[in-house]
Amino acid sequence: MVHVFKYKEYNYIYDSGSGSLHECDDKTYGYLAHMLGQTADISYLTADEIKEIESDIASLKDAGLLFKEETQARPAKSNEVKALCIHICHDCNLRCRYCFADEGAYHSEREFMSEETAKRAIDFLIENSGNRKVLEVDFFGGEPLMCLQTIKNVVYYAKEKAAAKGKKFLFTTTTNALLLNDDATKFFNEEMENVVLSLDGRKEVHDAIRKTINGKGSFDLVIDNIKKFVASRGDKHYYVRGTYTAKNLDFASDVLFLADNGFDSISMEPVVTDIDDLQIKEEHLPQILAEYERLCDEYLKRYEEGKGFNFFHFNVDLEGGPCLSKRVSACGAGNEYFSVAPNGDLYPCHQFVGDEKFKMGNVYEGKLDGGIRGTFAENCLFTRKKCGDCFAKYICSGGCNANNYHFTGDMNDPYGITCEMMKKRIECGMHVLARKRELKNK
Amino acid sequence: MIKTIAKPAEKKVTACGECRSTCQSACKTSCTVGNQSCERITREENPEKITK
Repeated sequence: MVHVFKYKEYNYIYDSGSGSLHECDDKTYGYLAHMLGQTADISYLTADEIKEIESDIASLKDAGLLFKEETQARPAKSNEVKALCIHICHDCNLRCRYCFADEGAYHSEREFMSEETAKRAIDFLIENSGNRKVLEVDFFGGEPLMCLQTIKNVVYYAKEKAAAKGKKFLFTTTTNALLLNDDATKFFNEEMENVVLSLDGRKEVHDAIRKTINGKGSFDLVIDNIKKFVASRGDKHYYVRGTYTAKNLDFASDVLFLADNGFDSISMEPVVTDIDDLQIKEEHLPQILAEYERLCDEYLKRYEEGKGFNFFHFNVDLEGGPCLSKRVSACGAGNEYFSVAPNGDLYPCHQFVGDEKFKMGNVYEGKLDGGIRGTFAENCLFTRKKCGDCFAKYICSGGCNANNYHFTGDMNDPYGITCEMMKKRIECGMHVLARKRELKNK
Repeated sequence: MIKTIAKPAEKKVTACGECRSTCQSACKTSCTVGNQSCERITREENPEKITK
């Protein structure tokens, strides 16, 4: 399908069938919008102008870059397990109000994964990874740094086991940075492919939600740790990752605050919660969409000034990116990616942990519930309601199973508010791509 | 006037399976597949990523 959209004075055409992005003048934009059934006055176009526009459209069609038929690709069928999210502990040293994980406890007892269970999870991954060479493990919590020694032992164990099998692990840790000392920093820089550091932005925003067990804001306790860590990180991957809520709908200021503090790899996500005063609601959407534009403008301004930074959601890789099979497959949770609870129980992903309906087995049993796995394996772009006529489908892939399920009760029913934010971020990402290309060619 | 900004490399249904599990990224709540790279191409272009 063809999607036309405006970003300030710029007019864009995105063809989802081919994945091409074009820019056009107002007349062509109006003509295409009219052609696509949108309200657009084209009465002022002369016959010659229409002829020229139609000729341009025909040329692109012939080149397979406009109105291209959409893919018939379907998800690849595979039983290989690629990745595990290891919940090394269900306990946390913070008590963040919006925490989907019940402030670290996952609606159960606070507990730590034993080293034996974590090693068994590594064995389970290797045993079920088939011919796949590169395996991924994310140490997650709760707060993983409460178990640093266990993580170290498990990483060394995994590397040894992988080497013997001709495989390699990529490790990630997600941390609130409260315990991110020199020892942890050294270990992370040596062993972690990626580190995700939670920081919500401005001190008052962060402190309003991310509190210590004693109820005090944690900003001052983590900011220097994160700065020191990022300074030591070199060219290895990291993300400073924040969450915004209904309390800071001006979240672009938080992203820019993070950039001003020297962090050049940033992600900022809308909260997933049903807490009334924090939840993102439909009435917030106009402000949120405008805020993404404000962020996009400042992002480009800083890029032009040589002070650019990486914002996760403005990266849209149209020229490379995944193959079509991946693009229609969604995230892989419950089929190639699983979460392991501290007792070894397996769930489709971290957002389902603790929900007995989604328990898929245990790493000690070594097998997965075929019924649940089958359901997740079948979930793809083509089982999603509403996605068929959405321009963003091959970029978003139908959204997050867990978010869909928690908001609408159906993994295949995308949550409308999330869809609107996703589409806006993708349009911003396309604008970023076009303007960066223009600056490069100057 | 229409100017092409991005013309994808030929989209193949390679399904080699080397791609990352999408959720192992920065967000863990609102992932997009399209902002990821093809892992196989990345690794072929950066062989040290699999040998180190």
